[in-house]
Amino acid sequence: MRIIIATFFIAILAFVVEYYWPWWIIAVVAFVIIFLFNLNPGRGFIAGFLGIAICWLAVALWRDTLNEHILSQRMATLFGLPHYTLFIVLTVFLGGLTGGLAGWSGSQTRRIFN
Amino acid sequence: MRLLRIVPLLITIVLVYVLNKPILGLPAFGKLLDPINGCWANAEDVNNNYTQKFSLQQLQHPVTIWFDDRLVPHIHAENDHDLYFAEGYIHAYFRLWQMDMETRAAAGRVSEVVGKKTLKFDRTQRRKGMVFGAENSLRVMEADPRTKTMLDAYTAGINTYIHSLKYRNYPLEYKLLGFAPEQWTNLKCALLLKYMADDLTGYTEDIPLTFLRDMLPKEDFDLLYPEKISGSTPVIPTGTHFEPASLPTIPVPDDSVWTHLQPGDFTDTRKEHDGKGSNNWVLSGMRTQSGVPILCNDPHLGLNLPSLWYEAQLQTPDMNVYGVSLPGAPGIVIGFNDSISWGFTNNYRDVKDFYAVEQVKNDSNSYWFDGKQVPFVKRMEHIAIKGEPDFIDTINYTIQGPVIYDEHFHGPGGLKRPLALCWMAHKSTNELLALYLLDRAKGYTEYVDAIFNFQCPAQNMVYADKDGNIAIWGQGQFVNKWKEQGRFIMNGADKDALWKEMIPMKENPHVLNPPQGYVSSANQSVTDSTYPYWYNGYFLEFRAWRINQVLGETKKATVQDMFNLQNDTYSVLAANTLPIMLRYVRNTSLTPDEKKYLNKLINWRYFLSADDVAASLYQIWWDKLYRDIWSDDFEKVPDNLWPLPERTMQLLQTDSTLKYYDDKNTPAVEGLKDMMVRSYKETIDTIGKLEKTTGVEWYKVKNTTVEHLAKLPAFSFANLKIGGWGNTINAAKHDHGPSWRMVVQMSKDIEAYGVYPGGQSGNPGSKYYASFLQNWVDGKYYRLLFLPNQKQQNITDIKYTLTLQPKL
Repeated sequence: MRIIIATFFIAILAFVVEYYWPWWIIAVVAFVIIFLFNLNPGRGFIAGFLGIAICWLAVALWRDTLNEHILSQRMATLFGLPHYTLFIVLTVFLGGLTGGLAGWSGSQTRRIFN
Repeated sequence: MRLLRIVPLLITIVLVYVLNKPILGLPAFGKLLDPINGCWANAEDVNNNYTQKFSLQQLQHPVTIWFDDRLVPHIHAENDHDLYFAEGYIHAYFRLWQMDMETRAAAGRVSEVVGKKTLKFDRTQRRKGMVFGAENSLRVMEADPRTKTMLDAYTAGINTYIHSLKYRNYPLEYKLLGFAPEQWTNLKCALLLKYMADDLTGYTEDIPLTFLRDMLPKEDFDLLYPEKISGSTPVIPTGTHFEPASLPTIPVPDDSVWTHLQPGDFTDTRKEHDGKGSNNWVLSGMRTQSGVPILCNDPHLGLNLPSLWYEAQLQTPDMNVYGVSLPGAPGIVIGFNDSISWGFTNNYRDVKDFYAVEQVKNDSNSYWFDGKQVPFVKRMEHIAIKGEPDFIDTINYTIQGPVIYDEHFHGPGGLKRPLALCWMAHKSTNELLALYLLDRAKGYTEYVDAIFNFQCPAQNMVYADKDGNIAIWGQGQFVNKWKEQGRFIMNGADKDALWKEMIPMKENPHVLNPPQGYVSSANQSVTDSTYPYWYNGYFLEFRAWRINQVLGETKKATVQDMFNLQNDTYSVLAANTLPIMLRYVRNTSLTPDEKKYLNKLINWRYFLSADDVAASLYQIWWDKLYRDIWSDDFEKVPDNLWPLPERTMQLLQTDSTLKYYDDKNTPAVEGLKDMMVRSYKETIDTIGKLEKTTGVEWYKVKNTTVEHLAKLPAFSFANLKIGGWGNTINAAKHDHGPSWRMVVQMSKDIEAYGVYPGGQSGNPGSKYYASFLQNWVDGKYYRLLFLPNQKQQNITDIKYTLTLQPKL
């Protein structure tokens, strides 16, 4: 249950703070939330990964739909990807990875003090 | 052990650091892909509502901007300040990155954001004196209260927009290339205008022509490189009366005024050049169905995205003008207002000359002039390079201008000799004032007063008004030159070689309401030989021959006829050369394939249509023939300056035994027939290869491409299905072509049409990015919405209304 709540918190908080801070604030968010929730390292990674991935997926899908894939198609071509959905996948994976590693670090760091 | 738990944190920090930093020329991925602030923020909602209200400091009164369904802004302001402020704001809103890059390119500041690979380009820009010229022009622009207001307000509008931006709102290209918008300045406007001047008057043949004059026997040089092509149908119709020159004819100085070149002055290989062209014409009412003049213009420039042009309508209580503007400069450049319309083609008279500099021995700080030692004026150019220390170039200025080439920076063909550049684009000129007045001109007299301020780049300016007048001016600032002055490199130490007096503007070639009932220009020679001043230039004749042929037969023309003519692909070159070429090849022994294609050519009617195979055959054949004839004789000529296609055509028509037809690289002596057959067989060979690769339809062979300014194929459009070539009216070449097609019928309510190969938004993530492109390819036009000059508008024509309000 705590992992779901942590994931949810990370997704919402990342969305809000990103409007005021550069993108790397997502790592701080995932780190702090997992630190406070005191999840074990595996769950910390999963919550961090999913939290950011959900946030980024939601925003990317929202913008991409309104844009009718004009930008994602051009960016996919620029990155040598055959389809725009792969550009969304790449985006979500990159955000998720950052969030996951940060969550994992949050958990491990908490364990230094436990 | 416990401390090992810090390792994940370190890994995370490294990952974030790497994703936040551009590496090996790649963008910072984390920053770029972030959906909230990165590239996804540039994915514009296709239904984005531009109806908004902004409160902006510095505005004096509210400004209303109506957007039509093509996103063309119709800006209504109460005074000049507010109008140009709003134009600057809107230009920046839709085209900021492009304006930034073009002015960086003009100023030689590209390396600052791209890195060392553009250093040579930046040095070239500095050494030709681009910034020097822009600073000179800025002084006169800021000295005139009208253009001062224009510039200050326009710059303030751009900066207001820039200051409102967060990283999230930056144009996509800033995020990809990893730099940020910087403060706009009036100097940048001046730089943009010099960028155009360079684009249009930068081409020069002085160096290769000097080489050729010194290499060839005089009679051969005159035969192959005549000063003007015979049979020209000049811009100012033959028979037009010119007033006698008010300035005296200057006697030609003796031979010491020239500099001679040796083959040893050049060090490396040659590169090719590429000319530009444009068409414009006006039919008077006697040749149109409506009985009122129709003005047409299609300036040919580099085909890029974001487009060079941005359509707009500008209104103040004393002005109502529609046309295309250049993002980066205020005003409308080509268009029409309530009373008149106008269009430009490049004039191509030579206004760029070179002087060989004789440095004083053992004193690198001075040079010889008129028997005296004169110190160079030094100008330090700091070129910032991304990721590296600045490069400092010290550029010497002589009395003529900047020393563009020397032993440290070689000229074309690796020329080592120091050359100073004297160029009209260095002068203090105020083209902005010309545009200011032109946009407001109510009739012919005001038009003429306006264009007299347009000095460089010289343009052939067509004119039509609602009273039925038509006119054309070969307008620019020109020098009263002695015969052949500036055609070759001159001796910089000789004072007779200097530019003398300027020709008074009113003596520039022009004609008002000529009896033939039309005027036209397509970069051909400006006048016949009765014009009293001597000039040379880089004139092209093919399109002019075709235009004059068609217009001479035109009666009762409609705007549709004019669309057809702008999209005409008839090749005068092909019509004149193919029958000769076929004659030589027909009766030789041919393979079945060669015969099959020959039949295609025999039945071809000389139109370079998009999907025509015969057009490809002819163009490839001509290209190979041209190379086979000239490449052996002229491979060492800098810039590959070979005899013009116009001249080559005339030689094929009149002389079948020219010694240059022989291929010097073979022991046998070849004649024209050998060249014809050889080039035909090469052509069929090439066609065979193309059949297996790209395809043989003409548009596939030439591959007209509209390329993004950062050369990113993902943001560009290649292989456009459009016909034509440089020597047809629809001059769609590989990366050059009609950059704005406009047709204006001067009826009581002006009826105007236009299209350009791009879209109003510079954002590759917007549906307006290239929204006009397909219609441009197809030769279709938009009816231009010319709103009456009033505060309220009929709401059905308007899609969005953006209101800019003064901030209290």
